[in-house]
Order: sequence, then C-alpha cells, then structure tokens
Amino acid sequence: MTAMIEMKNVQKLFGPHHVLKDINLSAERGKVLVIIGPSGSGKSTLLRCMNLLEMPTEGSLTVGDIRMEFHDGNKPKRDQVLTLRRQTGMVFQSYNLFPHMTVLANVMEAQVIVLKRSIEEARKRATELLRKVGLADKANAYPSQLSGGQQQRVGIARAMAVDPKVLLFDEPTSALDPELVGEVLKVIQELAAEGMTMVIVTHEMKFASQVADKVIMVDEGCIIAEGTPEEIIQNPAHERVRSFLSRITER
Amino acid sequence: MMSDRTERLIDIFIHSFMPLLQAGVKFTVPLTLISFALGLIVAFITALARLSSLKPLSWIAWFYVWIIRGTPLLVQLFIIFYGLPSLGVTLTPFPAAVIGFTLSVGAYGSEIIRAAIGSIPAGQWEAAYSLGMTRGQALRRIILPQATTVSLPPLFNSFISLIKDTSLAATITVTELFQKGQQITAAVYEPLLLYIEVALIYLLFSTVLSGLQSWLERRYGRHNVRAGGRIS
Ligand SMILES: Nc1ncnc2c1ncn2[C@@H]1O[C@H](COP(=O)(O)OP(=O)(O)O)[C@@H](O)[C@H]1O
Ligand SMILES: [Mg+2]
Repeated sequence: MTAMIEMKNVQKLFGPHHVLKDINLSAERGKVLVIIGPSGSGKSTLLRCMNLLEMPTEGSLTVGDIRMEFHDGNKPKRDQVLTLRRQTGMVFQSYNLFPHMTVLANVMEAQVIVLKRSIEEARKRATELLRKVGLADKANAYPSQLSGGQQQRVGIARAMAVDPKVLLFDEPTSALDPELVGEVLKVIQELAAEGMTMVIVTHEMKFASQVADKVIMVDEGCIIAEGTPEEIIQNPAHERVRSFLSRITER
Repeated sequence: MMSDRTERLIDIFIHSFMPLLQAGVKFTVPLTLISFALGLIVAFITALARLSSLKPLSWIAWFYVWIIRGTPLLVQLFIIFYGLPSLGVTLTPFPAAVIGFTLSVGAYGSEIIRAAIGSIPAGQWEAAYSLGMTRGQALRRIILPQATTVSLPPLFNSFISLIKDTSLAATITVTELFQKGQQITAAVYEPLLLYIEVALIYLLFSTVLSGLQSWLERRYGRHNVRAGGRIS
C-alpha cells in the first residue's frame, strides 16, 4: 500500500493557540480514512491542512507526488500550493456552492478555468457527474432552488470535476435535515466502492463503520487512537474514545 | 378667468423649460455619465489596491479615500478649478468638474466595492481555492460577480447622488441645469417657479436612474429569488 496523503509531525498554531500537536497520519491510495472526535478538537483544521486552506506551522505534508516542508515563517511557493490543491477536492459542511451559477456551471467552472478544458468537454464531464449523483435533471437550476441534500451532492460533483486524486469531506451531512442525510452518504459510499481515495470527517458513526478502512480519533489536537472501524468504533479500548462515542450516540 | 400673474407664470414655465432641459441634457447628463463611468474604474482599482497585499499600494489607496471623503466636494472643485492654475495647470470648467466628480465617485465607490467584496462569505473563497483557482481567478469568477450584485444598490445611490451633486459645477461656471436656472431667474425674478422647475428636471433624471436600477437588480438578482435576497 502506498500513501496518497502523509503527514509527519504536523503542528498548527493560530497565534498562541496550539490547535494541532504533532500529527502523524497517512491516507492510503483507494482507501477511506475517517476522522472522528469532539467538536473543537481540530478535525477541520487537520483536513484543511491537507489542501493548504490552512498552512501547517511545522512538519511535512505529502499529497500524491508533492512533498512540502513547513517551518515557522516559510511560506510555500504559490505554484506548489496550486499544484497540490489541484490533486485534491473538498466537500464543505455548508456546501459553499457558487450561488450565481447554475448547477451545471458550478461543476464546469474549475474544469474550464483551472484545467483549461474546452466548454464542450467540461459540459460533458459535468453532465456525467451530475447523472452520477442523481441530479441530471437539476443541471439548469440555481443552488438556492435545491434542497440541502441536493446541494451537497452538487458539491461532491463539483469536487470530483477536476479529477482529484483524493476527496476531502468536512462533516458533509452535519448541516442537513435528518431525512436528507442518507442520499448524500449513499453517493459517498458509491465513490468508496469505486476505489476513490477519501478522507472524511463525520459524526455519523454507523456510516463511518461501514465506509471506513481506517478510523482516526482526534482529541485536543492529538491523534489519540487509530485503527480499523471494529477497533475504534465497535470495540473501543481507549477510555476517551468510549466516552466520546457514548456522548455521540446519546443525541 | 386666469389672472395675469398666473398667465405670466405659465408662460415663463413653458418658455424656460426647453432651455433648462437643454442645459441638463448638454451638461448635467454628460457630466454625470462621464464622471460616474470614470469614477467606477477609479473605484474598482482603488478597492483592489486597498485589498492588495502590497502595503504601499494599499496605503496610497487609503490615503486617497481619506482625503476625498474628509473634505467637501465644493472645496475640492474650487481647488481644481481656481487653485491649480497657480501651479500652471489651467482647466476649462467642464473637465475640471469631471475630474472633481470622478475623484469623488472613485473614493466613495471604492468603499462600496470593498465592503461588497468583504461581505462574500469566506466559504466562497475556500471553495474556489479548493478547486485549484488562483486568487485572481477566484476574485474574477467567483467573488466579483457576487459582489456586483451586493454593490448595485449602494452604487446606484452614489449615481443618483452624483446627478444632484453636479449642481455644484455651477460654482465653477459650468452652465449646467442649476446654473441655467440661476441665469433665467436673474432675468425674470421668479425664483420659486424656476427653482421648482429645476428640481423637477433633476427629479426626472434621477427617476430614470431608479428605473434602470430596478431593471438591473431584477436581471442580476435572479439566483437569489428563492433565497429572498440572501446572497450566499
Ligand atoms: N482561523 C482560525 N483562527 C483561530 N483559531 C481557529 C481558527 N480555526 C480554528 N480555530 C480553533 O482551532 C480549534 C479547532 O477547530 P476546528 O479544527 O474547527 O475543530 P473541529 O473541526 O474538530 O470542530 C478551535 O478551538 C478553533 O476555535
Ligand atoms: Mg469542524
């Protein structure tokens, strides 16, 4: 197995606030890595360090064939940042679709602007992806005309459109009404079955056990447990993992 | 039976209407349109400069806005028209007025544009960056189109203010609408009638602009229909 994403000794500070403390992890090619942990523990920051929406303060990050070192103060080169980001796609908790564009245009945009594909090529790929997430009939709608679940599926199609090597999900269903969660998880599960490499932050434990190859528990900026879903979610050995899981399921 | 006085007033009204309207169409309207168009360009560049990571650039932009917003437009026009000749820069009235109003629109407009850009949720930048866009691409394709929708109403406020503010050009001898009103008043001694007539013509011009604003907002606010004007 080769790693698609690797983090070594990654630290992140916001001013004096030490949010990530010595993170070491790897996300394997074609596998699903799930990150769980209490709110405020640093999960989003960890995920956002993977596509450099946040710059790690210290440590090294490898995504695909790009490796970057971070030391206090040194900013990575712009081209390197762009190349790294083009290997990843991100799905946001609040969808962050482009409200001034139709669904189809949302999915075409980066293909044309970033990858310089022709309009026809981009439209073809976008239509394909919308069909895949079950929204071919909404191509000409605007995001505000869609339900949350539909918007998030567009978000997934948009992230897929640049053919990323890895997809990053930050609590993709947390903003959704309960009855809409299933349709989004189903799409993610299909992608997993196709062998898409994914890193998913989620509070959906049932989904996590089904989809994950590996689970990481983050608490107060540290990885406190790592293992298969069976080890971490079904039979947690670690006390803090157990108390976190019981709090989650009580809700 | 109409009194002689009423008849005289109606007569003056009718005879002064065309000259006033002409002054408006010949000077007020072009002064407004040219200054606003140039002002928007200045405003846009200034807003980008203020947001630039190049400190000197952003400082110059800040300084310009500070000066223009902090001093009366009337005084600025006097400096440009009556003051600059002592530095060897002599301008005819119309270009002097254009420069004054352009600088004014540029300063206030840049604040509107800057605020509109700032009002776009950070998630929009992040989504653009996560797709591999550069800062310029994100700005051009994702942020500015949304900021335009946000800034249309306040920019139209400036536009409508401008058409009224051009009356200040009278003080630097541009024979625009208000100046013309003054001239006719001086000849016929009916200030109430003449200035109401002048006001009506300004009202006519600004009403046309309001109509244009409604049309543009309907056209560019399309995607917000269901969101009830919510932008994100
Ligand atoms: N941009 C930021 N500036 C300052 N502090 C931040 C920033 N982003 C996150 N934090 C802080 O980092 C901690 C971890 O946040 P986050 O990664 O969002 O946690 P999680 O996703 O697990 O809820 C929180 O205490 C949060 O307040
Ligand atoms: Mg989070």
